Amino acid sequence: MTVQASSRLSGRPGEAPKRRASIWHQVRTNRWSYAYIAPFLVLVIVFTIYPIFASLGYTLYQWNGVGNPTQYVGLQNFERVVRDSIFWQAFGHTLLYATVLVPVQLLLALALALVLNDRRLRFSTFYRAVYFVPAITSAAIIGVVFQLMLSNFGDTFGQVLVRLQLVQHRIDWLGDPHAVLWIIITIGIWNTLGYNLVYFLAGLQTIPAELYEAARIDGAGAMGRFRHVTIPGLREVGLIILFLAILGSLQVFDLVQVLTGGGPYYASEVVNTYIYHQAFGAGSFGGGGGAAAQPNVGFASAASFFYGLLLLVITALQALAWRWVRHRRSGDSGMAVATGRPR
Amino acid sequence: MHDKWLAERIDRRTFLGAAAAVGGTTMLGSILAACGASGGATGRATVDTWDWWVSQSPWVEHELKRFEQAHGNIYVKRTVNATSSYDKLFTLAQRSNSAPDVFMITTTTVPLNEQVQKGWLLPLDRWATSSWRRRFPPYSFVEGINMFGGKVYTVPFTRPAPWLQLYINNKVFKDAGLTNADGSVMVPKTWDDVTRAAEVITKKGNGNTYGLGFGNGSFPILPWWVEVFVRPAGSPGGSMGPDLRTGKYTFGSDRNYLDFAELLLSWNRKGYFFPSSVSISDEIARAYFERGKFGMTIGGVWNQAEWTQHGFTDYTLTTLVGPSEKRAGYFYSSPGGSLMAVNSQTKHADQAWAWFDWFYGLQAGKSWVQEYNEDLSVHPQNNDPHKIHFRPFAEYVAMESLAIPGPGASIRNPAQAYVVVNPVQPDLGTILTGIYTGQIKGVQAAFMDLDERLQSALEQGVKQAQQQGHKVSLDDYVFPGWDITKPYRWSIPEYP
Repeated sequence: MTVQASSRLSGRPGEAPKRRASIWHQVRTNRWSYAYIAPFLVLVIVFTIYPIFASLGYTLYQWNGVGNPTQYVGLQNFERVVRDSIFWQAFGHTLLYATVLVPVQLLLALALALVLNDRRLRFSTFYRAVYFVPAITSAAIIGVVFQLMLSNFGDTFGQVLVRLQLVQHRIDWLGDPHAVLWIIITIGIWNTLGYNLVYFLAGLQTIPAELYEAARIDGAGAMGRFRHVTIPGLREVGLIILFLAILGSLQVFDLVQVLTGGGPYYASEVVNTYIYHQAFGAGSFGGGGGAAAQPNVGFASAASFFYGLLLLVITALQALAWRWVRHRRSGDSGMAVATGRPR
Repeated sequence: MHDKWLAERIDRRTFLGAAAAVGGTTMLGSILAACGASGGATGRATVDTWDWWVSQSPWVEHELKRFEQAHGNIYVKRTVNATSSYDKLFTLAQRSNSAPDVFMITTTTVPLNEQVQKGWLLPLDRWATSSWRRRFPPYSFVEGINMFGGKVYTVPFTRPAPWLQLYINNKVFKDAGLTNADGSVMVPKTWDDVTRAAEVITKKGNGNTYGLGFGNGSFPILPWWVEVFVRPAGSPGGSMGPDLRTGKYTFGSDRNYLDFAELLLSWNRKGYFFPSSVSISDEIARAYFERGKFGMTIGGVWNQAEWTQHGFTDYTLTTLVGPSEKRAGYFYSSPGGSLMAVNSQTKHADQAWAWFDWFYGLQAGKSWVQEYNEDLSVHPQNNDPHKIHFRPFAEYVAMESLAIPGPGASIRNPAQAYVVVNPVQPDLGTILTGIYTGQIKGVQAAFMDLDERLQSALEQGVKQAQQQGHKVSLDDYVFPGWDITKPYRWSIPEYP
């Protein structure tokens, strides 16, 4: 007990405590690291941190974005956002998008990563490239292409389905309020699958081959190796992938904006398109009438700020959930050691 | 071998030297080109002009060519913007002091009077003298509409006309047997006629051709259908304004709107509409109409130029199709009007005016109507249907009488220009989309709610203008004695 306490204080057992280096000394010592992160930091400050605080003032005005805001409305914008059923509908759509997309996409990405990680698979590099191509293609471009395929030039496609008797009547895929969000989710899954595939591949390649070899010698089958070697090996990276996938899907915008503009009648409106329509007014694209309003940058800023707060709450809940999971796991591990159960 | 030779011949210093030379030459070239473009060395001024006219482009290009032949020292650099993004681009350009010298006016974000207050527009009185104004017909210049503080900022470009029409694809009608004894197509005159025609076409089309179609994908287009089908039923507000007899919005209380919504739903339920109408864009819908995918659609005269370019001319048009043949309402025109303006910050004011004046000239208007068949000209002498050889366009020109003068709050009280009414959300177009897709079940409740929100927005706008010291009132919107079937007499001077 005494040894533990003293090592906590001194760093290593038996090592004398060092004087803490000054910040300036640390910066000088690691100057190249700071130099490398500086441009990114500047961009984040200019394009992320500053706008957040700059837009806070606009939330108190009704303002069309031109000239200086003069029409002070206090907290009315926040009040309107909270009471706006369209905002909550868009929030529900965003949650649905994330709730469906994340598990489906991660499962698919993991399955594909396991297949592509097999060294015996020929042309695996080619397959990896094929699956990654949609991820490096702009979501807006993908939206345009799918819009053309499903809607503007989708007449032929619709006729083929009718002739094959797969459907009775031609379906307006992007104009059907019951189908449109599911189509967007499906395209979203395909679009960003490549990123998670690469993350999982990277994670898989960090698992030492010896562990699989040892498991095989111990008589573990494919499922056993997956359960006792792969999953524990991917746990840390998996949490990061999950975290990024959830945050990314909650930020969905360009795909929806280009495909449907949030329509028809808000059937595919997500929070970011809702904010966009408020900030930049009319001009809904695709799907017919996602939104039509005069620009109201003040209201859009309030909606954006409020959504930011909601995301913060969701992120905090995620962090708490993970902490709880880790805590339980470490508790289980401790129990396992105490009871002699294999870990 | 080749690589090695290259590496030996081009060392880093040589490479950098060459790159610097190329870069320097390019930059010098650009500077010289820029000088030339802005008129520095050659004395030729460049006038930047922005518009959103795509189907009208051939006429604009034609006029630009003629203008430059007549004005060798002026080069007009035209930028065509997408209609849907024009307002955003223009507003951003104004914010960054990079707006063009001459531009089409957009008022979605900033109303015209506010643009004038902000000093974005150049007063044209220096050139637009009293004699120049007399070239235009009476009631072309109106305080509060295109004049502010007694100064002229813009001018109408076209004569009032029914801005929307029901287009009929003749081949589709003939294939479905919808012809008269003389072989001409049976042009629908009532809602029932449209229903019957749509039914026959859809049945005979067997899944390949439909009775009706539209393109709601780029923006909610169903209000256009309200304009053509509800106005003649006796609803003067159409898809836009309040009923000026009472000054109230009447979407929920006027039976005509409800009846039409039910008609729209029944057409949809019976499968008369082209299936992808909700998600295709208006441009694609026009192309599908041209190819005979559906027999009837609603559009404006701007469709015609595009179809003519494609060689599609076999169509007929009509407008104001009501529940009965007798029209109980019309399209209503206002005096004044606007299209182009000159930037107050322009460095080439005289040259910008020269292009502006040419654009609005009698000759340009003549080719606009008689050669390119684009629309009516503001100059009435250009709008003679007998001088138009293209039948569908002549039919359109002959419809001029279906747009009659109507009252307006801003005509009665120019201070109304300071009333800014914020649009509501969801608006009529979005609600009609919801009704069409079945997302809105309670149609009347949705319309009543819309009325309340619109009325409240109007009241709010008036109240704010009053707080700013402008003498405006909700009474400005009430014209109790207005007979909507007769031309309204404006009580303003013909020429201010």
